[in-house]
Amino acid sequence: MSTIYKVSYVVQGGDHPGAIVNEDQKPELGQKVTLGSNEFEVVEVVDLMPARGDFNFLHVTVKAIEH
Amino acid sequence: MTLSETLSQVELFEGLEPDELEQIAAICEERTLESGHVVAKQGDMGDELYIIWEGLVEVVHEETPEDSTPRTVVNLGQGQVFGEMALVDFGPRSATVRVISESAILQAIPREAFLEMCQSHNHLGYVVMRNMAADLSFKLRHQHLIGR
Repeated sequence: MSTIYKVSYVVQGGDHPGAIVNEDQKPELGQKVTLGSNEFEVVEVVDLMPARGDFNFLHVTVKAIEH
Repeated sequence: MTLSETLSQVELFEGLEPDELEQIAAICEERTLESGHVVAKQGDMGDELYIIWEGLVEVVHEETPEDSTPRTVVNLGQGQVFGEMALVDFGPRSATVRVISESAILQAIPREAFLEMCQSHNHLGYVVMRNMAADLSFKLRHQHLIGR
């Protein structure tokens, strides 16, 4: 089985509650991610807990993209 | 991919053997739900645990005498589990959970069959309960990070 990234997305500023989602790829700085109907940019990626089995646990801070 | 193979990609079942995953698959009930559907309501008694197969749900703390504004505390997506608190502590639902994507596919696991399986298969029961504790820990860490 390939690696699964369990990600805690925390949104900078505002009152968005963030999200917890499994991802196939590790989020990268500057990458755009969609949570529900909103689009965000990744500004921080940190290992939250040691990996267990095929699962990696990440904390990712994102900020809203202003159009 | 079979249901048991797909279950191996859910953290709750990480570390289970293929035959144990097949036993879990045998008690899963698939539900396809539309946007806005309330899966669990705060205060209601619950007897199922849910795994998100596809889609996104929001977890909402309803208004209380102390706080009159409902508050979304987190959104949960593919591979995540909810409903586990009422499953293990037999208390009422601690939050309302609503589908916010266009639709969602969930796997529901009934409490009675789940606890019976955990009690009668020691390895399966230990692994699932350890993973459930780790998942609750992850959710707590998420809340701590939201508040920093």
